[in-house]
Amino acid sequence: MTTQTHRMQFPLSAADARTLRAGDQVIIDGEIIVTAGLPTHQRLMHCLDGQEPLPMAMQGQTLFHIGSYSQENAERFEVLYINPTTSTRFNPYMPRLIEGLELHAVGGKGGLDAASAAAMQRTACVYLSFLGGGCTLLSEAVREVLEVGWSEMLTHYRVVRLRVEGLGPATVAIDAHGHSLYADAAEQAQRSLPALMAELDADRLR
Amino acid sequence: MGTQARFSGNVRQAITDGFAELVASIQPPLLPHVTNPLTLERGHHGKDMPIVTFDMVDDQDFVDITCSPKALGSGRWAALEIFSFPDLHTIEEFVMNTVLKAGSQPCPPVVIGVGIGGTFDYAAKMSKEATLRTIGEINPEPILADMERRLARAINKTGFGPMGTGGDSTAMAVHINYAAGHGFTPVAVSFNCWINRRTRARIHNDGRVEIVE
Repeated sequence: MTTQTHRMQFPLSAADARTLRAGDQVIIDGEIIVTAGLPTHQRLMHCLDGQEPLPMAMQGQTLFHIGSYSQENAERFEVLYINPTTSTRFNPYMPRLIEGLELHAVGGKGGLDAASAAAMQRTACVYLSFLGGGCTLLSEAVREVLEVGWSEMLTHYRVVRLRVEGLGPATVAIDAHGHSLYADAAEQAQRSLPALMAELDADRLR
Repeated sequence: MGTQARFSGNVRQAITDGFAELVASIQPPLLPHVTNPLTLERGHHGKDMPIVTFDMVDDQDFVDITCSPKALGSGRWAALEIFSFPDLHTIEEFVMNTVLKAGSQPCPPVVIGVGIGGTFDYAAKMSKEATLRTIGEINPEPILADMERRLARAINKTGFGPMGTGGDSTAMAVHINYAAGHGFTPVAVSFNCWINRRTRARIHNDGRVEIVE
């Protein structure tokens, strides 16, 4: 597999999302939407149910599981840092969010399950893996806070639209064609477990 | 905690106050991640926070305080199971299954700490402390030194790799502690993410504070 690094403009279009292959690297310029909140995802479900409006225009956008610490200074928000969080806890909500909002890029760290990967295939969406704990590096890419939704929520639960320049590199961990590096790794590990156990037994002293 | 260390004043309160001062002063600020498990409300304060555990070290006149923060990435995947008279195969199989369950999620390459024996709570404590051991230090117990070497090799053949997107580096180290017990043998596994953040301060009896790491 040859790995390619792409520098791309966000929000990602469906066509651009389809050009990416699992294992590729992406450096992001443009606009992204981030949140790290479980309550936020539950509230977004209510929005899709028509119970309240979305906190901002999210249709066809990017939604990353990235927490941000924003502070309000003289009527504007300033983001002090961003950091990815584990996406798997949002598994129950993501298929519906991906399809309901027609997302073309999601991400965070740790991956999403098969139901999400299937939804991503339907909307032409990629999952990008950011460096966990890479807060210092990743925060350097933030240029501007464009919009803060649900500012009454805890800072990292808010829905924040950012302008970034050179964010990443992030790994395309699930592509828009249904290929998931997480599923590959889990399958490979499970498949090799009997052999690894045999090796552990064979090499044991005494 | 050195048994020759001298204390005066309310030490528990000082730790709580110290954290409150950190919350008030540190830039950029700390996230309000202290969660009440009954209401799921979050903030900077909560019952028993910061959680403090300690051990005693004979003949020392200082106190070491280690701070090793971790979150949903690596703290979430710790596991403990109680076995009855397990052989080494059973213990190693539990570690491997726990690593497979954590999979891509704990920000690999991780440091894995294992605690074998003692009691339910003590095994968990040993596994957590094991993650703090200096990487590269050889376990003085030959059975465990061998187990650490074999487990590290096996875990690095699982294929999860950095950030779980595939590769040969899943564990930076496997560190194992043990204690004698009854025969019902708890085995605990803890993870620390690759960032492996930590700092340790040593407070001497004469009031000197030394940053050890």
